[in-house]
Amino acid sequence: MSENSKHPPDAPIPARFQVSRFTLLADTWMGRLIRFGGISVVAAVIGMLVFLICQVLPLFSGAKLEPLSPVSFEKTAVGFGEDEYGELPFTCDQTGTLVFRRAYSSSASAPGAVVKTWSPTLTPGQKVTALRTYPRDGIVVLGLSDGNVIEVKVTYKITFDEKGGRTPQPQILASPAQPLGRNLLPCLDVWSVKGPNGHLVICRQQEAGRDFLTAARLPEKFASAGSGLPAPVKAFNIASDIPELERVLVPSTADSVIVIRKDGEVRVYTIDEEDVTFLQSFRPFASLPDSRIAAAGLIFGNVSLVVNSFSGVEEVWSIYPQVQPDGQSLRRWGKIHDCDALAGAGKGIFPAVGNKCYLTVAGGRMQIRNMTNGSLRWDAPAPTSEIRQVVFSRNYDRLTVLSADGVLRRWSVEDYHPEASWNTFFGKIWYEGASAPAYTWQSSSGADEFEAKYSLVPLLYGTIKGTFYALLFAIPIALLAAIYVSQFLRPELKKIIKPTMEIMASLPSVVLGFLAGLWLAPIVDANLLPLICILAALAPAALTAGFAWSSLPQPIRRKVGPGWEFAYLIPFVVFCGWLAWQSAPLIESTFFSVKDVASGQNISDFREWWRQNSGWSYDSRNSIVVGFVMGFAVIPIVFTIAEDALSNVPDALVSGSLALGASRWQTVWSVVVPTAISGIVSGIMIGFGRAVGETMIVVMATGNTPVMEANPFNGMRTLSANIAVELPEAAVGHTHYRALFLGACCLFALTFVINTFAEILRQRLRERYKVV
Amino acid sequence: MNPSASRIKVQPATESEGRKDYIRIQDYGFWYGAKKALDAISLDVPERRVVAFIGPSGCGKSTLLRNLNRMNDLVDGIRHEGDIQIAGRSIYDPGIEVISLRRRVGMVFQKSNPFPKSIYDNVVYALRIMGVTDRALLDEACETSLRKAALWDEVKDRLNDSALGLSGGQMQRLCIARAIANRPEILLMDEPCSALDPIATGKIEELIHELKAQFTIVIVTHSMQQAARVSDHTAFFYLGKLIEYDTTEKIFMNPSQAQTEAYISGRFG
Repeated sequence: MSENSKHPPDAPIPARFQVSRFTLLADTWMGRLIRFGGISVVAAVIGMLVFLICQVLPLFSGAKLEPLSPVSFEKTAVGFGEDEYGELPFTCDQTGTLVFRRAYSSSASAPGAVVKTWSPTLTPGQKVTALRTYPRDGIVVLGLSDGNVIEVKVTYKITFDEKGGRTPQPQILASPAQPLGRNLLPCLDVWSVKGPNGHLVICRQQEAGRDFLTAARLPEKFASAGSGLPAPVKAFNIASDIPELERVLVPSTADSVIVIRKDGEVRVYTIDEEDVTFLQSFRPFASLPDSRIAAAGLIFGNVSLVVNSFSGVEEVWSIYPQVQPDGQSLRRWGKIHDCDALAGAGKGIFPAVGNKCYLTVAGGRMQIRNMTNGSLRWDAPAPTSEIRQVVFSRNYDRLTVLSADGVLRRWSVEDYHPEASWNTFFGKIWYEGASAPAYTWQSSSGADEFEAKYSLVPLLYGTIKGTFYALLFAIPIALLAAIYVSQFLRPELKKIIKPTMEIMASLPSVVLGFLAGLWLAPIVDANLLPLICILAALAPAALTAGFAWSSLPQPIRRKVGPGWEFAYLIPFVVFCGWLAWQSAPLIESTFFSVKDVASGQNISDFREWWRQNSGWSYDSRNSIVVGFVMGFAVIPIVFTIAEDALSNVPDALVSGSLALGASRWQTVWSVVVPTAISGIVSGIMIGFGRAVGETMIVVMATGNTPVMEANPFNGMRTLSANIAVELPEAAVGHTHYRALFLGACCLFALTFVINTFAEILRQRLRERYKVV
Repeated sequence: MNPSASRIKVQPATESEGRKDYIRIQDYGFWYGAKKALDAISLDVPERRVVAFIGPSGCGKSTLLRNLNRMNDLVDGIRHEGDIQIAGRSIYDPGIEVISLRRRVGMVFQKSNPFPKSIYDNVVYALRIMGVTDRALLDEACETSLRKAALWDEVKDRLNDSALGLSGGQMQRLCIARAIANRPEILLMDEPCSALDPIATGKIEELIHELKAQFTIVIVTHSMQQAARVSDHTAFFYLGKLIEYDTTEKIFMNPSQAQTEAYISGRFG
């Protein structure tokens, strides 16, 4: 109690024990600052991931179609057309009469109001017997009862009022009746296509139950002025041996005609300036019980044909180089895809323009698919009445459907990445024009109708290949060097070597890439075999030196201080390397002599030998050079971390092992390395991460060819290099741009998965080999 | 200081019991660089006896012990004079591999240093690096060594568990088991109990008593009581010199040197 009275609880704490407010304040605020920093780092990483995913997700979203207001026309309408904005569509009935109606309300009239009607002027006795509308081009072709053809061209004249409101006015221009078919026979069907090489009109007629097609090339101004007569190409009879003709498809290039017969045979004719030539015949559904073709459509690009059977089977046939029985390679039609089964018999296939999508009407559904990758982009119930015509607008932003009830149903289309699907990026795809399915990355080309190919598989392959060769070179050297430096080298030399290696790690990779591409690659190219000989000689030379050393008598060996053995090893190894270099020409001329293709003489050239005997190519920018130089970027990192781990193994363990009579190597192998293994694994993984993400070296030294070959003598294209090379030329938000981001995601996933796996492994190893 | 102290040549009771001198150290001097750590040491260790090295820190007792199996070889700038013979042959004989010397002269360290491996792998380590792969032989050696180290009953059910899960005393006994697994002739112990509690220490001391039947043991200790309890002979070192070497009884009851007496009675050290 007396103690307590001496120090009452409320007595002030002496000043020398008090903590200054500033210390406490600084402590609090620094704590907060550090916490904020830590959270920011985590948030930044998560933010980057979220950004990447946001960039990539639209690729897999499919098409979004929003219905627009329908327009009701007469039930007799068989075809339609519309202006660019879909404001003033028209329909056409069997008599060739065009009716224009307003699609949206305006100050002048309500939606659905008739704006204009037009009928062709015919001479008495003439009758419209066939017609076909081309809504995107505003063309209506009329076939007449006497074999004449009239082409009607609809254009829209846009006028702007003072408020900026636009008013489209239809302008109709009809050509005079042209006698194209056989005279006095009624046209049963007509087609008109304007290709790059001219204007082709085809009409079908029948005489004594036999179908005739007459094709005619027309002068450009046929529709507008009628000046000049058509130049008919030879008429051809397509029903001479098989019953009737079912349908005719004319590619927009106007250089061929595809005729489909009722029994399911497809006959392809090419049409040039003067003549029609039969090219090929095939039957897509020959193996089915019902081999008839229910629907067919030519995909944009005119080299692929989608066909439906009555049982709901859908196939894609395309023209691609095929080796003929006589060994010649010719472009012929063949099946390239088996599509998903349809709900019922195909009722119509309507291609989009600008991409490879098409709409199929079958089994009461309307489905939009991508021909190339087979992905289903949209699926909706079809109108109950029969569908007469379906058209995608030129920009693939509107879909218009005319059904037998006279209603023009319209949708706005939002599908920014029609060519993207999981299959596109990671699957094997049979592209048009290719002879087989393949993983292809080819994002751009000089041609307009080119279809971009975005398979990430060759890039992943290139990434792994580059990493493999880099690590193949770097890991053994780095680990052996780390073991040597930490366990055997003299401490005074270690003090020099370790910082030197660490400086090496800070070499900018662009410098290494520059050296690799411009300096090393030509040297390796010129001295390939000598360098291979040296590489092959080094390890045996070192091992031989070690063996010779161990068989020297003890007194001689003892004269060399521990850690100085390398002074004897290096000259020997250098000598062996020199020997290998000198003997390389002899080896080349003995084993790698081949006949030169150009001169026909025997030459000694390993590169040529490789080309001729491995079946692979040889490039001077190859994996060996990349592996070597990327190894230089990786070695210091792996070395530093592994060396630290090995040096941190307690001396007590080393002494313990040595005291048990283990040699130094046994000690290193059975005690030091297992104890340091978690650090060594970390080093390897960080080296792996560096090699996977390395960009500048691969950009400059690989040649950036996205090929999939294990060949060590050609290049590769890695995901990182691909992003570096192509991002500047990819339009923001386009499929190409997002595909590059998908590549970034893959890179992220690759390093994430492998690092996670390595971290788990490392934790396990650390648990197992932890030191007290 | 007695000028002849470092040159004492004991003729202890060993002769009368018919034991030969096994380790023979003659005029042995040792330098770490310029620093002289040992000065003209001469002493003989008889076969199958326990000899304790005592003395204050830095007196050279550990250095001498570590030279008996040449563990100091890896230290830079070392030099020696004189000679150490084991079973009649110099350990510096150019014809003798240092590895074979260490197989003959086992060592237990101050701080237990089990490898981060299983108990079993620790014990058979020396055999494995000698190239023994026969599982039956290894199993037998493992059991024998662990039994000799009085550890078998405690670990026989968890031989494949990590050695790092053992207690401090068990680890040290494991290190002893590991050191005797390849049946060396000499066992060097460098303060084997300094990190252990009294119970574990007691066990190790008992063990030393039992191992004496088969091994010649040299033990360095800071504990005079331990030296008195376990050793047959005791050598007192001071400043790199051997001051006195005699039977343990004599050293502790009736030392002939004043320094020895002062150290033993706790007046310095």
